Amino acid sequence: MEERELFAKYRETGDVALRNEIAMKYLYIASVIAKKFVGRGVEYDDLYQVASLALLKGIDRFDESKGLKFSTFITPTITGEIKNYFRDRSRIVHLPRKVAELRIAVRKETEEFLAATGRKPTAKELSERLGVPEEEIVKNAEAGGVVSLDRRAEGEEGLSLYEVLPDTDDAFERIENRDAVESALSDLSEAERTLVALRYGKALSQVETAKRMGVSQMYVSRMERKVLDKLRETLKRGMAE
Amino acid sequence: MKELMELTVSLGSELMTTVRLATGGICSAAGLDLERSEDCKVCVTESLLLLLHAGYRRARVKFSSEEGLRVALSGEGEAGEEHPVPEDEISAALIGALAEEADTRRDGGRVQGVSFKFGL
Repeated sequence: MEERELFAKYRETGDVALRNEIAMKYLYIASVIAKKFVGRGVEYDDLYQVASLALLKGIDRFDESKGLKFSTFITPTITGEIKNYFRDRSRIVHLPRKVAELRIAVRKETEEFLAATGRKPTAKELSERLGVPEEEIVKNAEAGGVVSLDRRAEGEEGLSLYEVLPDTDDAFERIENRDAVESALSDLSEAERTLVALRYGKALSQVETAKRMGVSQMYVSRMERKVLDKLRETLKRGMAE
Repeated sequence: MKELMELTVSLGSELMTTVRLATGGICSAAGLDLERSEDCKVCVTESLLLLLHAGYRRARVKFSSEEGLRVALSGEGEAGEEHPVPEDEISAALIGALAEEADTRRDGGRVQGVSFKFGL
């Protein structure tokens, strides 16, 4: 069966056997693309799995009536999924929820635009489609990029970013923070202070903490929530005073 | 636009690694982050494969800086017999997906050159 005919029939019937036939026919694309990303710290098998899942999703989204060939449509989709996988794996710094949500919306919109037009959208086009100011789109695109501290610092001959970044650790601020925390901790009960010491001083898990305190993990979880609320309140009050 | 480097390479698999290494160095000099540098290396390799399958035996690779890195690749000399493979479509689509302003110049279906950009 020809490509168009195959997809049209699947679209019409929704037959899973037909979808599997399409997947088998185009699985080589997942393999070809996965191989292009080998050597970036992820095993080929993992990349192939991500690519294959993207292929399956793409089969359902492909519209043969738009005149694009399936390989042209699916390549950006698979590439996008692999790149998302890399980003998710390497995200050391968590972005604020609003920023992260906009990033997902931008990514999705970009993929759809690319599949429909064959090119990436501009910030203005994204702004119109998502109803978000253009400036936000640009700012969002800049968020989340990981930069090596060994990278050469601009305008600083021969020096790395690590060498020119100012020290943000202010000793006075540290003392002030410690005083505030100590004062807030003094408002806690003995058991609550033990919990803070085990969970945040020794960095033990809730299960470990529960074992040491001779209580259940559920009890630790509830107590921790209560303690954090209490500390938050005390520190907030302290800042206001 | 500032020209950074121009290479003329023989299109054989033995030189691909050398071109990839040179591309990595140029990307770093142009200030691209690691992810974009890796993507750029993929695009350069795919472009060279397209030119090879279009029948060229040599290619010219030109790197210029332009708020990032612009790369232009073209076949050098007379093109021989074409031997396209189904993966060529994937190569072209991959360049389009990874780079900005990707453009494949063709003459009667035969690829003559590829250009693309990676912004900062």
